[in-house]
Amino acid sequence: MRLPRFEYVKASTTGEALAALQAGDGQTRILAGGTDLLVNMKYRIERPATVIGIRTIDELCSVTTGSDGSLHLGAGVTLSSLAENSLIKESCPGLGRAITAVGSKHIRNMGTIGGNACLNTRCWYYNQSQLWRDAREVCRKAGGNVCHAINGSERCHAINSSDTAPMLVALDAEMVIQNREGERRVLAREFYRNDGVRYNALEPEEMLSRIEIPRGNTERRTAFIKICSRRGLDFAMANIGAAVSVKAGRCSQVRIVIGAIASHPLILEKTAAVVEEGGLSEGGMEQAADTARTELGTLTNLFSSAGYKRQLAQVLVKRVLQELKGSSRNKRRAGK
Amino acid sequence: MKRMITLQVNGDTCEVAVEPWHTLLDVLRDQLRLTGTKKSCGIGTCGVCTVIMDGLAILSCLKLAIESQGHDITTIEGLGSADELDPVQQSFIEHGAIQCGFCTPGVIMSARALLDKNPQPSDEDVREALSGTFCRCTGHIKTIEAVKHAAEKQAGAGGTSDGQ
Amino acid sequence: MQRRSRQERGAQVMVSKYSVVGQRHPRLDGRQKATGRSEFSDDVYLPGMLHGKIVRSSIPRGRIVNIDTSRAEQLPGVKAVITHKDTGGLMPGPDTVLLCDEMVNYFGDEVAAVAAVDEDTAAEAAELIKVEYEPMTPLFSMKEAMAEGVPPIHNYIEDNCADDISMAFGDVDKAFSESEHIRTDEYVIHPSHSSFAEHHVVVADYSLPEKLTVWTPVQSSAIIQMSLAQNFGLSSSNVRIMNLNTGGAFCGRGSERPHHYIAAILSRKTAKPVKIICTADEEFIIYRGGGKYNFTFKTGVMKDGRLKAIEADLLHDCGPYVETQFIMLRFTGFQLQMLYKVEASKFTGKLVYTNNPPYFFHHGAGLVAMRFAFGAQLDAIAKDLGIDPVEIRLKNAVDKGYTTLSEMHFASCGLKECIQKTVKKSGWKKKHGKLPPYRGIGIGCGVLRAGGKGMFDHDTSAVFIKIDEDGKVSLVTGLPDMGQGSHTAMAIIAAESLGITPEDIKVIAGDTDITPFDAGAISQRGTFTTGNAVKNACSDVKKQLGKTAATEMGVKPSELVFKDGKIFSKGKPEKAILFEDAVYNTLHSSEGRFVMGRGFYNPPTEGVSGGDYKGNPALAYSFGAQIAEVEVDPETGIVKLLNMTVAHDVGRAINPMAVEGQLDGQVFSGMGQTLFEECIMENGRVLNPSLLDYKLPRPFEVPGIEHIIVETNDPYGPFGAKEVGQGPIQCTSQAIANAVSNAIGHHIKELPITPERVLEAIRQKNKNQ
Repeated sequence: MRLPRFEYVKASTTGEALAALQAGDGQTRILAGGTDLLVNMKYRIERPATVIGIRTIDELCSVTTGSDGSLHLGAGVTLSSLAENSLIKESCPGLGRAITAVGSKHIRNMGTIGGNACLNTRCWYYNQSQLWRDAREVCRKAGGNVCHAINGSERCHAINSSDTAPMLVALDAEMVIQNREGERRVLAREFYRNDGVRYNALEPEEMLSRIEIPRGNTERRTAFIKICSRRGLDFAMANIGAAVSVKAGRCSQVRIVIGAIASHPLILEKTAAVVEEGGLSEGGMEQAADTARTELGTLTNLFSSAGYKRQLAQVLVKRVLQELKGSSRNKRRAGK
Repeated sequence: MKRMITLQVNGDTCEVAVEPWHTLLDVLRDQLRLTGTKKSCGIGTCGVCTVIMDGLAILSCLKLAIESQGHDITTIEGLGSADELDPVQQSFIEHGAIQCGFCTPGVIMSARALLDKNPQPSDEDVREALSGTFCRCTGHIKTIEAVKHAAEKQAGAGGTSDGQ
Repeated sequence: MQRRSRQERGAQVMVSKYSVVGQRHPRLDGRQKATGRSEFSDDVYLPGMLHGKIVRSSIPRGRIVNIDTSRAEQLPGVKAVITHKDTGGLMPGPDTVLLCDEMVNYFGDEVAAVAAVDEDTAAEAAELIKVEYEPMTPLFSMKEAMAEGVPPIHNYIEDNCADDISMAFGDVDKAFSESEHIRTDEYVIHPSHSSFAEHHVVVADYSLPEKLTVWTPVQSSAIIQMSLAQNFGLSSSNVRIMNLNTGGAFCGRGSERPHHYIAAILSRKTAKPVKIICTADEEFIIYRGGGKYNFTFKTGVMKDGRLKAIEADLLHDCGPYVETQFIMLRFTGFQLQMLYKVEASKFTGKLVYTNNPPYFFHHGAGLVAMRFAFGAQLDAIAKDLGIDPVEIRLKNAVDKGYTTLSEMHFASCGLKECIQKTVKKSGWKKKHGKLPPYRGIGIGCGVLRAGGKGMFDHDTSAVFIKIDEDGKVSLVTGLPDMGQGSHTAMAIIAAESLGITPEDIKVIAGDTDITPFDAGAISQRGTFTTGNAVKNACSDVKKQLGKTAATEMGVKPSELVFKDGKIFSKGKPEKAILFEDAVYNTLHSSEGRFVMGRGFYNPPTEGVSGGDYKGNPALAYSFGAQIAEVEVDPETGIVKLLNMTVAHDVGRAINPMAVEGQLDGQVFSGMGQTLFEECIMENGRVLNPSLLDYKLPRPFEVPGIEHIIVETNDPYGPFGAKEVGQGPIQCTSQAIANAVSNAIGHHIKELPITPERVLEAIRQKNKNQ
């Protein structure tokens, strides 16, 4: 498959990139790793008139520690370099796991954290070639008025399959967005939207420049699990990111986030409350898993049946809690 | 509009005129006629177009040619020397890891990139490095074996030169 | 002690009977392939070459009202636009019109095509062609297609039945009436796709009206050459098929496809070579992979497990074009009475036209589905009777010398040996019924012919050999190598015959202007049939060289032995002449004879003729057994294939390394068909048409694998060899599916066994308890 025609602009600074975005009249896209955007362009799902190359913008490609001890991940850092980053390995093993769960080695060598965090939502009826899509009425995600995944639905149900998104939400990460006014910050939990079309808070003329992981996480236990048909080059059938502070057997700041079964990562607040109450006892974990099953709300049959998604979510909650129970950062370090 | 770009491929400097939408794979095959790098899915799912860029295995079908400037690119044609095959190539031949051979260059380049970074990979590491490739014929069984053998052989050879 | 060592020596003598056959030999083109030097069809760049793109139907069924090509024709760089009227009414098959004239019959049907200076322009031009359709109600299910009164897909076949056979052997009614236990089960096998790494691709050069040259990956140059010649009204020698290398075939490249004709017509029209390569989505759209199988198996047995009668019915969706799918019905019918001794068998099968994509068959000659179904039922019967699955197989297994109900004769047979060896190596007895919950073990068995008549009246392979004055051999064959290692196998057979090494041999193949006739790499015939042709050509060479050697040594030509690069008399090995010297002296003498061997082989069998389907189509049949061990995650339904123990009766392993490669590939593919691969169909379209969403397994899913090569030394095979082409995969699905059934305690009847289906099966089991 070949790419459609487009103009290419190389941006050397964030300012240049933003200027090019504004000049593009909504027909411009930022190209980071290319593993998502270029595929969609080959499928003719996206046909930007201009593509902005940002690979040489230094500030997007670094990992630093903020003055408050938070971890700053440049949106353009590749997943494989982050996977090897000792700061992440040590302070946030769950994020490390989520990063290495993405795609394949090849994809991680090219793809960026910003790209995965902003991964376009997917649907069987959307992520197809022009020829395939021509056989059907244009769907909501492609600018039409119908949903083929759920007939008669008023919204788009495309699925957010990002592996890092649920973990970023669980970590209370902040997404730093650049626009012509300057910078704005959005909590990851608010960044993702329950809408397959407008799946995140980025406006057309904005770009994600950085993801900040607050310092508090270095005190928390974090875990990530992905369930997929095959290991390697597969989107999750369901994934989960979780974080918890455990002090004297008591759990606080519990975050449990299920991904890849809806248009946005699902934050399981009731389930988290059960854990804060019941702790990581066998009974408490079972109860949390049962709560998760009911807390999920309506799910679609896209990619797998709603019943199966629910089952996986329940299993993932149980397993992630077991992992959190068994793992403390210190133990992990000692094991190394 | 076509632009002139300069690529560093297998140690050579190549000037080529490209359109913005040309991928590195297009240029390697259609212009430089380095057809050892194969073209298949074009959407990052098969790994046959794998080349090594700055030491990392990447998919040349999803890399714009225009963004490949200033990077060190190695294709299958750049492995080994006129007289001697790369240990990975040798191992693939000796261990029956090649059948139809269409995916072979991509799998070998993926393995080469692994061993450059991690000379003593575990079974898990090898499978991980090859997980973006796809080999219907061998079912990955002998390719995995061949990469492990290449690592052993390379370690043996490295040991000798270290001792000198 | 002494006796034992003598036995060991004996074994060694057995092994060293051959110098080259049986040695592990890296493939001869390994260096070419490992360095990226091997050329495939897409690597062909010809001067002035254009790129073609096919315009495909965006609806599954309808009438073409209008095709507007004007905008495409005006696009700069476009050199030709063609529709049906440019094809001269060409019909590649009895039910297939090249570039639809009136009707489109599936989503993706070829409607028009363009040739342009580059791929981008061709793609743009194709987008500019606007086709107006009058949609018709499509028929997606076989039930709909077979309903009374529906407008048929092809108006000359009113009931949408593309083919319909009934094949019975023995007294079926009597055998069932005598049975003490009868079981009937239904099985469903969903569509799966070939997914070769090298997409469908063709370069056609028809610049001159009298000669068509086609570069394309194929399993048989002969078949595509004949079809193209016939349809273009060319004499077959004026159609040159260049098969440089074939990037995997898995049963999917047996014959020509529409893109071959389209590229040729575009080339004729522009007088330039034209390349067409299918994109990733097109690979799934034009399909030609495995279809949907609905099987009903009714089997009668005695209480002790003896099989009495097998009756199977198959309903198979063939899409709108039948192509060669009818073969599969016959193969299935025969298979019922080939693996186990049975008193009677009956098969009824029907191919149904629908508006789904044109199916073909996927890896395993279309028989993996049938073998899964019967293997699963046999396990269920064993369970009903309280017999071990291995015992019921051993009790009924065919033997050497057995003649089936349809008069197939097994001159060699290692089925029981395969079963016994896999059982021993896998630790079956310690495991079956004794594994922890959700761990399971299962067995599968199979049989397949090594070549044989059916595709043509004959099953001929021919081979030329020329030997240059330095003693180096060129072996010229029309047999393609799609990766299975056939060229290396042929070199080994020639090297063994001539007493030289495979490195002394250069295999020249893939160009029908040079190579002699070979029916191709179909029906797993290469090693057996072309191998025998190689042997015959070598005999011809030996006669020519023997004359020189015998004269020089003063012995009779009949006493000569060719071994270790020398020619010597049986009684006097010390007096020898070097092979290369014999070649040199044959040429550089007053007689000046240049050594050229020729040989062909056509298995001397009567084949199957007449309406009763009786007769022996092949001389050799291979057998196999495999045992799978799995672990099921009862919470997610994910099945992990832990290990496979794989035995195959290859007759003789010409090259054990290649045999293992074939076993590996087939286990992998069988694992895919059983646990992972499904084209999810909706309204005639594949919902998951990419290697991302079509879940082929990857390196992490690869199980541990134990190879057991069983050698029964077939009396007709070259050095006793039979096949390892698609025989092994016959066992894989059954073994894995039976292991899953064993793990969860529920009879699996549907493939692939996806996680959701596993959970459903566990639910069913719990409900039944």
